[in-house]
Amino acid sequence: MSESTTGATAASGALRGAIGETLLEVRDLQKHFPLTQGVLFKRTVGHVRAVDGVNLTMHRGETVGLVGESGCGKSTVSKLLVALEKPTAGSILYKGRDVAKMGGRALKEYRREVQIIFQDPYASLNPRMTVGDIVAEGWSVHADVAPKKGRLQRTQELLDRVGLNPDYVNRYPHQFSGGQRQRIGIARALALRPEIIVCDEPVSALDVSVQAQVVNLLEDLQDEFGLSYLFIAHDLSVVRHISDRVAVMYLGSIVEEGTDEQVYTAPSHPYTQALLSSVPLHEPHLRGQKDRILLQGDVPSPADPPSGCRFRTRCWKAQDICAQEAPALVDRGQGHPSACHFAEARTVVPVDVE
Amino acid sequence: MTRPDLSQPRAAAPGTGGTVLEVDDLHVEFRTRSGVVNAVNGVSYRLAERETLAILGESGSGKSVSAQAIMGILDTPPAVITGGGIWFEGRDLLQQSEEEQRKVRGPGISMIFQDALSSLNPVYSVGYQIGEMFRAHRGMSKKDAKKRAVELMDRVRIPGAGARVNDYPHQFSGGMRQRVMIAMAIALDPRVLIADEPTTALDVTVQAQVMDLLKDLQRETGMGLILITHDLGVVNEVADNVAVMYAGRIVERGTVDDVFANPAHPYTDGLMSSVPQVEAKGGRLLPIAGQPPNLAAIPSGCPFHPRCSRRRLGAAATPGRECATDLPPLRLVVPGREAACHYSEEVLGV
Amino acid sequence: MTDQQQADLRHDEVEAGTTTGLASPSVDATDARQNSLWSDAWKDLKRNPLFWIGGLLMLVFLAMALLPQVFARGVDPRECSLSNSQQKPSAGHWFGFDQQGCDYLANVVYGARNSLIIGVLAVLVVLLLGVVVGAIAGFYGGLTDSLLSRITDIFYALPLVLGALVVLRTGTLGRGVTAVAIALALFGWMTAMRLVRSQVIAVKSSDYVAAARAMGASNGRILVRHILPNAIAPVLVYTTITIGVLIAAEATLTFLGVGLQRPAISWGLQIEAGQSLLRTAPHLVLFPSIVLTLTVMAFIMMGDALRDALDPRQRA
Repeated sequence: MSESTTGATAASGALRGAIGETLLEVRDLQKHFPLTQGVLFKRTVGHVRAVDGVNLTMHRGETVGLVGESGCGKSTVSKLLVALEKPTAGSILYKGRDVAKMGGRALKEYRREVQIIFQDPYASLNPRMTVGDIVAEGWSVHADVAPKKGRLQRTQELLDRVGLNPDYVNRYPHQFSGGQRQRIGIARALALRPEIIVCDEPVSALDVSVQAQVVNLLEDLQDEFGLSYLFIAHDLSVVRHISDRVAVMYLGSIVEEGTDEQVYTAPSHPYTQALLSSVPLHEPHLRGQKDRILLQGDVPSPADPPSGCRFRTRCWKAQDICAQEAPALVDRGQGHPSACHFAEARTVVPVDVE
Repeated sequence: MTRPDLSQPRAAAPGTGGTVLEVDDLHVEFRTRSGVVNAVNGVSYRLAERETLAILGESGSGKSVSAQAIMGILDTPPAVITGGGIWFEGRDLLQQSEEEQRKVRGPGISMIFQDALSSLNPVYSVGYQIGEMFRAHRGMSKKDAKKRAVELMDRVRIPGAGARVNDYPHQFSGGMRQRVMIAMAIALDPRVLIADEPTTALDVTVQAQVMDLLKDLQRETGMGLILITHDLGVVNEVADNVAVMYAGRIVERGTVDDVFANPAHPYTDGLMSSVPQVEAKGGRLLPIAGQPPNLAAIPSGCPFHPRCSRRRLGAAATPGRECATDLPPLRLVVPGREAACHYSEEVLGV
Repeated sequence: MTDQQQADLRHDEVEAGTTTGLASPSVDATDARQNSLWSDAWKDLKRNPLFWIGGLLMLVFLAMALLPQVFARGVDPRECSLSNSQQKPSAGHWFGFDQQGCDYLANVVYGARNSLIIGVLAVLVVLLLGVVVGAIAGFYGGLTDSLLSRITDIFYALPLVLGALVVLRTGTLGRGVTAVAIALALFGWMTAMRLVRSQVIAVKSSDYVAAARAMGASNGRILVRHILPNAIAPVLVYTTITIGVLIAAEATLTFLGVGLQRPAISWGLQIEAGQSLLRTAPHLVLFPSIVLTLTVMAFIMMGDALRDALDPRQRA
């Protein structure tokens, strides 16, 4: 572990695919939100199990994709990782240290090294701050990153790097398009020379033709600064494109994890299979070639999840054991972990033979 | 009043019938304080029975505005329909009184929206809102209307329809709300259904269910379906024909198979190569440069030329086909395919 | 606008496509100045005619408060002769005379000081209480919010005049101008608090606040840099409108015998006294009302200008 590495640039040159040491380890992470009633004297009437047992490992220079449908808890995971929420149980180990036990200086340093990019480029920038102020704000908090003199120059270099005109430092967010705003958000995250950037649906709100620009920018920045990404999205195509490893989330926990190849071509959890089989394909000649798995019903409420396996209420493979015993996320002979008692690889996305 | 060509079925996808809706050179602008926004600049298309026509475009391409013009639900002002016609059952809707238009909407043409929650009234039960269609247009009694509402909820596969008819919109999940919207839209057996980003707000597994439902309903009723979307995958999976819109114009039109296999307009081509696919990890994405255009200041000539990698400017261009000055018309490039590019043949490679 | 967009496009073209980096950095050719919201707001204010008109009016009233003898043309407001009682305005006495036969112009002019002090001081206290209590309640939420909100509700339950009356009767604040202003503010800040609180709650959950928090910014910084600038606009508008209500409310207190007492002079006292003579001498209500309205308008104009200046989206 290189405790002394402060600037991400020190790790620059780490190439895609060349994965470094473990940066972040998430162990059995849980976040339960209390459901309360009453105005002055609130009493707890239950808990929403937004995150309920998430395990993840991130290495330097790696992109981990986290996919799942709305309400599965993936956004709560991102908030936990950037310490905007405190976990109910479990731990987040960053370079071997538990984030929950960090205080003062250590936590401040963690907050510098782990940055976040939000989904909505219209809500994530303060409308009453200039672009220059937005990008440079982190330096007021972490004064050691950039000396006071030359901050403007640094800001302009950052804007330039993310593909914006450096002359725009004095403009306000509303003067930019969605894609440009997302670049400002990226520059803000980059300003603190982070090790990890949590990307919470960073391209979902953008126009199709602009999404690719931002995805490419993220990839280039990763190569240049040796960044690690946790890429959270519901768009399975984008996640496959950008990720080295992919974790699939359902109702608060991870049901399957593996390299993008393993998860997309040999999914072994029924939910992953159903999810992948629902994605519309872009090639006319592949149309109708895949098995469509149509799931029945809705996702159960996270306030009252099913016993045993969370997915059993909608699963076509469910048997008695599924209601009694929650399946652990372990390798069940497919070469990658899957949280299903009856894990079995199945091809649902036809392979595009060019 | 009747247009001669309307009775003639156009060569459409196999299994489709005669034309039910024709949009002819539609122009819509928004007159705002800060200037005129040219949202739709001469859009024409025809929809046949049983046909699914996808209108593909990004935000600001005018795809939703043209649909709102058909439904007569544009906010006027600021929106003004400045030209063109919308022909339905032999009559131009734009020449009719509001009262006559109201009679067409609902029974003839109906629409579903992206955001089902804000399209439903939170203080009425869904059964009441579906029944409203029958009470308002068919003069049914409250009791009969409710009975029909339950039938419709069954038809759009809402589980336990009889028990849920008195529930309120917030008690339904996103997918179920969209089904309620669909039930309202098909209540009066419309001949045309316009679906404006019907699945954009939904999760991918729910999206598949809703698209399946729409296709099944179309098979049963023979209605024409206009599917407005930005999702290439959805277009490929459900549409027969596709019209690609950019800056308020149709830039390419053809069957989905043809257009997706071999685009004739650089914008369509750019969209295809900028979108990652689930089928393969793929190499580096090839984005379209720049931002979608500002409709208050659409570039001269071909509106796509500032972002186009194939543009020809000045001396490099064929006379009369300079991309920055000459607006390319939508023209037939090869049989069954129209494109609005001076150099479509090169893009196609024919 | 078009030029900017063209420039945007040109820049984007370079970076899109196969590479996202620029061939050569183009950083050095910029004006080396970082603007802030406040410097931009000031620039915007300077160009706003509303701000200048409001400011000019305010200066006039301020001068009136400081140097009343100049505006009163040297007439002493307390030099009265009952023979002139209720005389109509004339060339020599522009505003006429009041019931006691005092020159009314001099009275209105001399009333400016007390009325302005009461209005401005009360509004400042309202603003201070409203913003501080509202921001704390909205920002910290939970039990703090519940407590502060309930306290606010208790104040709401007491009518403005009744509350002020009780406070002034107890006499702890004295009976002067300051006491009246504070008593009025003490029972008039609740709406401001509610406005600030709801805005703060709305802004608090926005992504840019989450971004600042994730960056390690302190609560103070988040409140001052992110939340307050985005939450202050409605309360600014509200308080500028309230200033008139407060100046007028002072008169009601006088009527009840706890506000300023003669021989003190204020617009509120004049309007109050004039009301009973509305039929015979309408000018006694008209003139103090006009100056009061102009004062309130001056504040509203400045408040509006400030609100617009603090919102970049409103700028050209």
